[in-house]
This record gives sequence, structure tokens and C-alpha cells, in this order.
Amino acid sequence: MADDSSPPLKTPRQAALAGAKAAAGLPSFMLMASLIGVGGLCRDVGYPMGAAVASTLLVWAGPAQMVLFGSIAAGVALPLIAVAICVSSIRFVPMCMSILPLMREPAIPARDGQPARKGTPTWLMLILAHFVAVTAWVEGMRRLPGMPKPERIPYFLAFASTVMLAAAFSTGAGYYLIAKLPPALAAGLLFTSPIYFTVALAAGARQSVDWLALVLGFGAAPLVALVVPAGFDLMVGGIGMGSLAYAIHRLQQARRRRGEGA
Amino acid sequence: MTATLAALEHWSGGLWPYLVVILFGFLPSEIWRWASVFLVRGLSEDAEILVWVRAVATALLAGVVAKLLLVPSGALAVVPVFWRWGALGAGILAFFVFRKSMLAGVIIGEAVLIGAALLAAG
Repeated sequence: MADDSSPPLKTPRQAALAGAKAAAGLPSFMLMASLIGVGGLCRDVGYPMGAAVASTLLVWAGPAQMVLFGSIAAGVALPLIAVAICVSSIRFVPMCMSILPLMREPAIPARDGQPARKGTPTWLMLILAHFVAVTAWVEGMRRLPGMPKPERIPYFLAFASTVMLAAAFSTGAGYYLIAKLPPALAAGLLFTSPIYFTVALAAGARQSVDWLALVLGFGAAPLVALVVPAGFDLMVGGIGMGSLAYAIHRLQQARRRRGEGA
Repeated sequence: MTATLAALEHWSGGLWPYLVVILFGFLPSEIWRWASVFLVRGLSEDAEILVWVRAVATALLAGVVAKLLLVPSGALAVVPVFWRWGALGAGILAFFVFRKSMLAGVIIGEAVLIGAALLAAG
């Protein structure tokens, strides 16, 4: 074994394999558990199994899928459902904006005899963006920064498509299975998202600003829900508490710098 | 609008459920992902503004978790509130006790919750 401190760059294929492997355990399991219910909701409105699976592959956001089929069942007008989904999906903006720059390779002009290199093309960025949802975001934010840049896109694509396929399979299975589940197990399935997101966020928190955002966002949620109209409370709480965490982080930085200067 | 939708439903026949998923589920959520691709143009991965954006995303997600437990749906609502938070606390504790093992956190949290759900039902 070489005792080289920086291991050789993985080929795209090796990086993709590593991504698929990382996805195969806990992340896939948790997505399967949380999307199994969507299949049952879809059957309740009399849609075919394929529509449930298509919703996982295309919408790729468990809560939005539940809103979609749940509201159809409740007789809500389709354009209103679209508005509700559109509002709740604004949360993809900060998620995509923070993870996409980790993967994009900038364009480099020709210089010193080196040929010019094209940056990551827009069509590929759009595909990468489609795979962004909570699971891929928490795992990606945790793992990508420590990786050499060329490995990140194949790793992320393989990771995200593996969990997506597992989730799609589970959505289809849930279409037939969900009614037969004992209630305690059903409660356990619904609990997978909160517990998994919590430990994944804790595992991914590196700097004090991450911990601050985590604790403030969590603690303020009940208060924000009382004050802000439903549908907007998550976004308002996220921007408010995230900004507060960032402001505290900047103050700490400034104080540290002043301490060094003195 | 309603008449147009009814006509579309009639015209699309058996494909209507798929059209619903695309028009009223996929498009309204996907536009935000696509918009983000254009919003981050020219931002490098260590741009200062991204520290703030990441803090917002983290706080938002923490809020999602809190809301899932505050206003639980379906079978989770049967579990008493004390045990919903207790199971989360047990999971976090296990995560740290087992040297930041996510698996330990999820398994212990789930075990406490399912146990409480069984007791609540019985």
C-alpha cells in the first residue's frame, strides 16, 4: 500500500461507483421508508401505479407529492394545488444554490500552452439541479467538499440516481402494500424523515454557523408557525434564522480578528 | 380554466394522471431548481454569500423537521407528543454516544418511537 497522503484521482467510473455505494445503505432505506406512503395516497385517488412512480421521478420531493395526491383526494382545484406546491418548493432555491457551485467546473481560457477548457455545460447543471432534494443535499453538502472536484459530478449523479431508483421502487410497492401495514410500523415509517434529517444535519455541521442555523431554525419553528401564515412559515423561519446565524457568525469572526490584531 | 382542464382531461384519456403529475406537480417545483442554476452563475464555491445561503437552507430544513413533529400526519399523530420529541432526543443522543454514527441515531430513535407507538395502541 502506498502511504501517499493524497490518493490518486478516481476515474469518473470509480467515483460513480463510490457514490452508488454510499447511497445503497441508510440514504436509500430512509427514502424508501418515507415514499412508501405516497404510493398509497396515489391509489386512494384512483390513479394508476405509474403516476405514483412518475411523481417520485419527476417531482422528487416527498412532501410535495403528498400535497399533490392528498389535495386531489380532498377535492382541491388543480391550479390551487400547483400554487401550494410552487410555494413549498421555494426551499429548493437555497439548497440548489449552495450545492451546485460545489460541482460546477469553471471555464478556463487557454494559457501557457494549455488548451482552453469548457466549464460544466448548462444542460448538465439542469440535470444535477433536478436531483437536488433533501437527502441528496444533506449527503452532498457533507461529502462533496472533501472530494477532488472532477470526482464530484459522477459521485453525486450516481448517489442521487441510486436513491431515486430505490425511492421509485418503494413508491410503486407502497401502491399495493400500504393499507396492510400495522399502525406502529406506519408511525415508524413517518418518523424516518425527521430522525434521518436531524442526524444527517448534525453529521454535516462543520462550522459554528451550521450549528447555529440548525439550533435556531429548529427552536424558532414553533414560534414562527404561530405568527406567519401556513405555507410561508418555513421560508420565513429559514431566511430569518439562517440570517441570524450568519450575522452571529460574522460578529464572532470580527471579534476574533480584533483579538488577533490587538 | 375549469372548462379547459375538463377538455384536457377528456382529450388525454388514460394519460390524464400523468399529465396532472407533470403540470401540477413537476413544473411548479422544478422551476425553482432551474432558476437556481441561473442564479449561481459566476459564483465560485467559496463565495461569501454562499455561507449565508447554506445557513438559510440549514435553518429551513431544521424547521421542516420541527414541523413534521409538531403537526404530525397520519399514524405518527397517534404517538403522544412527549414520545415524538423523546424519540428524536434519544436518536440525537445515540448519534453522539456512538461517535457520530448516523445509523445508531436512526435505529435508536426509530426503536423508541415504534415502542411508544405500540404502547399507545395497546
